[in-house]
Amino acid sequence: MIYLDYSATTPVSYEVLDTISKVTKEFIGNPNSLHALGLKSAQLLESATKQIADIFGISTNEIIYTSGATEANNMAIIGVAMAHHRKGKHIIVSKLEHPSIYAICEYLKSIGFEIDYVKNDNEGLIDFDDLKRLIRDDTILVSICAVNSETGVRQPLKMIRQIIKKENIATIFHSDMTQAIGKIAVNFHDVDLASMSAHKIFGPKGIGFLYKSNMIKIVPLIYGSGKVNELKPGTPPLPLIAALSKAIRLANDSLEKRERFINLLNNKIITALEQYPNIKINKTKYSIPQILNISIMNVMPETFIHIMDKHEIYLSTNTACSSGDISSSIMAIYNDIKRAKHTIRISLSYVTTTEEVNKFIEIFKEEYEKIMQVK
Amino acid sequence: MEKIIILKYGELSTKKDNINYFIKTLKQNIGKVIEDVDFQIYYDFGRMYIYVKEEDIDYCLDRLKNVFGILEIIVGYKSNDLDIENIKNNVLDLVKAKEFNTFKVKTKRSNKNYPINSMEVSRLIGGYLLKNIKNITVDVHNPQLLIEIEIRNNEVLFYFNGIKGLGGYPVGTLGKGLLMLSGGIDSPVAGFLTIKRGVKLEAIYFESPPHTSDFAKEKVIKLCKILGQYNANIKLHIINFTEIQETILKNIPHEYLITIMRRMMYRISAIIAHNNKCNILVNGESIGQVASQTLTSMRVINEVVKIPVIRPVACFDKLEIINIAKKIGTYDISTLPYEDCCTIFVPDHPVINPSLKMATEYENHISYEELIHKAIKNHEVININIKEENKYQDLL
Repeated sequence: MIYLDYSATTPVSYEVLDTISKVTKEFIGNPNSLHALGLKSAQLLESATKQIADIFGISTNEIIYTSGATEANNMAIIGVAMAHHRKGKHIIVSKLEHPSIYAICEYLKSIGFEIDYVKNDNEGLIDFDDLKRLIRDDTILVSICAVNSETGVRQPLKMIRQIIKKENIATIFHSDMTQAIGKIAVNFHDVDLASMSAHKIFGPKGIGFLYKSNMIKIVPLIYGSGKVNELKPGTPPLPLIAALSKAIRLANDSLEKRERFINLLNNKIITALEQYPNIKINKTKYSIPQILNISIMNVMPETFIHIMDKHEIYLSTNTACSSGDISSSIMAIYNDIKRAKHTIRISLSYVTTTEEVNKFIEIFKEEYEKIMQVK
Repeated sequence: MEKIIILKYGELSTKKDNINYFIKTLKQNIGKVIEDVDFQIYYDFGRMYIYVKEEDIDYCLDRLKNVFGILEIIVGYKSNDLDIENIKNNVLDLVKAKEFNTFKVKTKRSNKNYPINSMEVSRLIGGYLLKNIKNITVDVHNPQLLIEIEIRNNEVLFYFNGIKGLGGYPVGTLGKGLLMLSGGIDSPVAGFLTIKRGVKLEAIYFESPPHTSDFAKEKVIKLCKILGQYNANIKLHIINFTEIQETILKNIPHEYLITIMRRMMYRISAIIAHNNKCNILVNGESIGQVASQTLTSMRVINEVVKIPVIRPVACFDKLEIINIAKKIGTYDISTLPYEDCCTIFVPDHPVINPSLKMATEYENHISYEELIHKAIKNHEVININIKEENKYQDLL
């Protein structure tokens, strides 16, 4: 099996699995309970949270555990909208967001918020002038992802923050960092809110967190009891939280070295596929190496995915979350409908081996040339 | 040029014969906080010099910020080239990138065999800078940039404005004290202020299970960890106070509950202090804050011990105390909502002006000496190590 869909989800690593199993068995107390078992669980919860806070240089009370990035995005965007709607009802997002962001925006539109979409240039970079033009006195939130899930284009968050805060100091800046954390170095101090999910970094599904700077206020979406966090009441899922903490620690180990290695693999694939005139490489100078997007202009991507499936090679069309549609990110960057309809995403990880990549290239060429002959 | 850390001492100018003892203790304390890296320390009566690898400098600065007895922490540069022309060029290289309009050069020459005297070195270097950098002038009274040059036997040191250290005296130079730690906001601040004056602290905490929970004890341990950063670890004495407290509750009129309880705590603390060679008791009492902290209360309570009781925050407003607590990082822990043994069984109307006669009278109804003896015999000691690995590290 050659798994090349690490940006959709990753398998849980053995170390993390070990944590889940041990914590599930040994930490049965509710961290909110007053007895010794409760205290034991509360201590582990605190240590796990502290480890995350230390890695990212933030405070422990700035971390709100969620079921994943989609919940974190909801909590952030709707939370800001509900908390600040008296100041304004204007929200700006980019055209390169995860589908969950657009779904939230649709909901907010239906209850009277106004959404604007900031343009990007043909390298995928946010158009700073357009952003400046769009920010108004009543703009309460800007949400721009750190790394686009389809093309891997990375945004300069620090610069974007400076532009936003210069135009309107009260505008809150949220970034969906799901595809960035564990792949590249991120700085939470560039943003006010950030979302992430464990299952993209060899952690379990069903856990992630929202970073919320202590300087801003959002309202909770759900209400309940429990002293851990007022924005996410209820009993915290301790095995998942410990696993998240461990996954983050492991993912942030030797980030740069891993990125350099993945870059080599990425270049290897590009060199092999470039020779075909009908394959377009959707890579800009801002793309991170873990995500490689191509358009096979004369073959339907579904067909090709199924062919590769037979060889136990697993790829994505655009993203797992929007399969079937045309790729909105490719459309936003290249403005070419055919190119956007024919995308395939190859996503790599530091566990990908050179042999796997060689094998993939070999089979890819073989199958592609076979289809060409039929055509 | 190699980087080097230079420290200026805190309040040591009042010391004469024993200045060496203070500096040596500081050296030992510093050695403990940076023991994870390779280092060498040299000192004279004016400065301490720490040689570490360049990549360890940030780590060391971070640790040195929590060491009392340091007035200023400076990152300087060291060169082995004593030639005046090269010194000039080295200084120029170092200050070129800095933004300043006025400057002053101050030279110290501990190598008295050096052919040029200090004033002359300063003059030569100042002149050289004026010639080579535009729009700067000399200001000997209020310079924006103070360039200090020190010519030693085999090396020249260059340094500029440093960062402020914590001040105070090196911990341990003034002996030991016992801090009565409750878990509230005031007592950790009182502890911090006492450590600042060079007193090494041990702490005593009274617990009353089942009325107080393990969470409350955990909270006190966390507070000790914070204080331990300044104190080079801390020894925590935990006294089980349940029996004494319950006996008081049963036998003493309720308005005198707190008075008698505090008297018992003082007695126990004094004995623990004596057994552990602590010369003073320290607590977080602040005049007038609660009924047990009125002047009459203090007098009646203090009467049971002979050992001096230091109350560093006695004359501070609550807000002043909170500000310090926030600065040292104990505030968020202190405000966690767990009962401690001073907050359970609080009478509705505690006596504000207790009488000593009444207090002793009431006390004679209970055989407290036996109870105190038992509590001390069974007391628990925890050595709190700030560097202690997280006990769940293998899971994370």
